[in-house]
Formats: sequence, structure tokens, C-alpha cells
Amino acid sequence: MPEHHYPHDHVHRPLRLGVCGPVGTGKSSLIALLCRELSTRLSLAVVTNDIYTDEDARFLRSAGVLAEDRIRAVETGACPHTAIRDDISANLMEVEALEHDYPDLDVVLLESGGDNLTATFSPALVDAQVFVLDVAGGGDVARKGGPGIERADLLVVNKTDLAPYVGVDVARMRADAVAAREGRPVVALSRHDRESIDALLDWVLSVRSAHGHGDLVPVDPGPMAPHFHAGEHAHHH
Amino acid sequence: MADADLLALLLADARLPVAGHTQSGTLEGAVMAGLGATDVPSYLQARLVGVTRVEAGTAVAARRAVLDDEPLAPVETAWAARTVTPAVRTASRTQARALRRLCGRLWPDVVRPLDPLSSPGRAVVLGAVAAGLGLGAEALARVVAYDDVQTVCAASLKLLPLDPTVVTGWVVDALPGVEEVVAATAGVKSPSEIPAVAAPQIEVWAQAHARTTRRLFRA
Repeated sequence: MPEHHYPHDHVHRPLRLGVCGPVGTGKSSLIALLCRELSTRLSLAVVTNDIYTDEDARFLRSAGVLAEDRIRAVETGACPHTAIRDDISANLMEVEALEHDYPDLDVVLLESGGDNLTATFSPALVDAQVFVLDVAGGGDVARKGGPGIERADLLVVNKTDLAPYVGVDVARMRADAVAAREGRPVVALSRHDRESIDALLDWVLSVRSAHGHGDLVPVDPGPMAPHFHAGEHAHHH
Repeated sequence: MADADLLALLLADARLPVAGHTQSGTLEGAVMAGLGATDVPSYLQARLVGVTRVEAGTAVAARRAVLDDEPLAPVETAWAARTVTPAVRTASRTQARALRRLCGRLWPDVVRPLDPLSSPGRAVVLGAVAAGLGLGAEALARVVAYDDVQTVCAASLKLLPLDPTVVTGWVVDALPGVEEVVAATAGVKSPSEIPAVAAPQIEVWAQAHARTTRRLFRA
């Protein structure tokens, strides 16, 4: 058999969790936070997609939250969108290599290159995905919507501790996000707010549990809104 | 199996999901060292008389080995000996993994001759795949050389943005050079006949590029 074929099926391999969102919203910090909080309980690894540097991988390595070899970088040829969506091969190979090198893995975290509001992961690459916004990016971003904001498995509104300094009403921004997402989960996160961290961890653990039980079906947030034909359920194209 | 001409088009298509968008054919390393847009056509030519002949010759030798039921390991060794820089070998092996993975899913029998090799270079995988898919030696060498030209030109649109018509003109102007590669390599019958031609400056750029912490492309 080819060297990169592994005999485990969907449920038996680790959860693949994507983290995407615009530049500077705190994707790397969120992953560092998850590693810090969960690495005593779970076996973790990270694949970063840096646009121009290996800065994100180096940041995570220097944070000392995981062994260096468990953090690997993928270059994307200035196409961060392509690497997580249309041609996922570079990422998939790193994920499979990590799964091969660390058979005990529970979760592989994938960090997208910071791109625009339309960039989301292919469900062929990740089982679930988190879209990250921050309050400093503007209180109206959640209301503007987009595939990640509306339909990622979780929306994180990050850096809520900065809200007073940038004139953003967190409660309002959160309410906009909840409305845009039609009930899908939202976590308003600050790394100084223990309750918000616990809400994030609870979500990750519940997704992992659903994955382990075979109940998690990866969903494409889509580049477009789902549409309806008369008499049918919503579907994506 | 589908028509061999169509399969050659498939293998040369940038839309093949083998992470081709992560590669620049060392153009990024060259641009970091000061190469400008007007130098790209001669850079293409330099690759066509150097590194591309090693790649095409290796692919043709690998195809021959599979057709003759000979082992691929000596072809791999001959390629590695002619590919001086670790960065270039590593980049090729990474691309090879993607190609092998894809072809293994589409045509499991076609990649079977590669089983004894743990991490072959891309040209060896391409050659083995060509043998299994019924591509001729000339078509295979043409795919290798054409892909190299297009890889550099597509990367140049990211690194040195120009009117894409101009860049497509560079591709067209390089096509006679592609045919020269075909003529020089399609007759390769054994690993020892693979051209041993290096472009030392490109190798130096490639190695320096692999050590930078700021880059768009893997190689």
C-alpha cells in the first residue's frame, strides 16, 4: 500500500479542528490557549498556514505549550484560501504525517493563514471549524456576516477585554453574531475572563466527544449562503 | 484507461490537487537575491538546460524501469546524486508525496512499483505513474519541462506582478526549449544516462531560500 494510507476510519482518527478568520484577530493566541488548557488532558498537534512567514509556528513553539515537533508549518504560495479549501493536499499531508508520528493524538488543530471574511475550511480537511473575529476589528463586522461568521461551527468574538478602548459594545456585537448565526454557538472570549475560556473548552470537548461517537458530520460553511428549492431542505452548492 | 494524451494534460494541469501553488521553481529565492522581471525568461532558459533535464531524464528512466520490471531505487539514487541541494530534494519529495497520494487513490496499481521506496523524488513518481497510465517517453518529458516553465511563470505573477499576457508570452517563447528537453531526454534508457547537469546558482538560491523565515512559497 502507499505509505500514506492509514487503516483507521473517520471516527478512530483524531478530531481535526480548524481555526480561521481575518489577520490579527487572535487565531494563534487562541490555539496557544487551547494547547495550554488542554495539553495535560489530550494529546495535541498543530498545523499552521502562514502567509508570509513561519511566524505563527515560531510563536507557538516559543510559547512552549507543545513539543516543537508537534507544531508544523505549511507554506501556501500566497494562496491561504486555496490551501484550506480547493487544494488541501499540503495540509492533509502534514496532518497525516502528524497522525502517523503521534498515534496517540486526540486533536489536530489547523490554523488558517489570516485571510478575508470568505475564507473557510473544506470539510474534507477539518471535522469542525472555529471562525475568529475580534472586537478591535469593529463592532459591525459580526452583523456584516459571511460564510464563516454565519455558519462556522463556532464563532469566537475575541479580545472582549479591549472593548472599552475601541468603543465597541460587546453585548451588542454578540447579539448581532447570534442573530446572524441563527442559533449556532458564539463565545465572547477574553483570555482574562475564566468563564469565557471555560465556555470555549466545553465547546471543544463536546465536539471531540461527538466526533468520537461518530455523531459529528463535517459541514461546509460555504462560500455562499445556502439556498432553498421549493419543498426541499437547505443545501449547499 | 483513458487516452494517454488526455492523461498527460491532466498531469500537467495546475488544477491537479498536488499543492502546485506552493512551489515557485526557486524563483522566490532568485528574486530574493535580486533577480528582476526582465530576467525571468533567461531564468526559464537556464532551468531548461539544467535542472529540468535532470528531472525529465529521471522521469523517463523511471518509466523505462517500470516497463522493464527493473527496480526504481537506482533511478532514485541517480536523481539524488544529480540534485545537489538538500532543499531541492526535500521540496521534490514533498511534491512527490502529494502526487503519489493522489495517484494511489485514483489508480492503486499504477503506484505499486513505488512501494519499495519510502520518499522518492517527484520525477521518479511521475515516471512510474506515466508507465502505468500509458504515457510515452516524449509526452512524459514534455509534461515535466512544461510544468517547470508554468510553475516559474505562475509564481512570477505573484512575486513580480505584470500583465499576465506578457508572462504567457514567456511561456510560449520557452516552448522550443521545452522541445529541446524532450529531444535530449526521451531516449534515456538507464539511470546512468540521466543528464548530470546542475545550475549551481539556482541550487545556492534554493538552499538560502529554505533558511529564510519570510517566504510565500515552499521552494
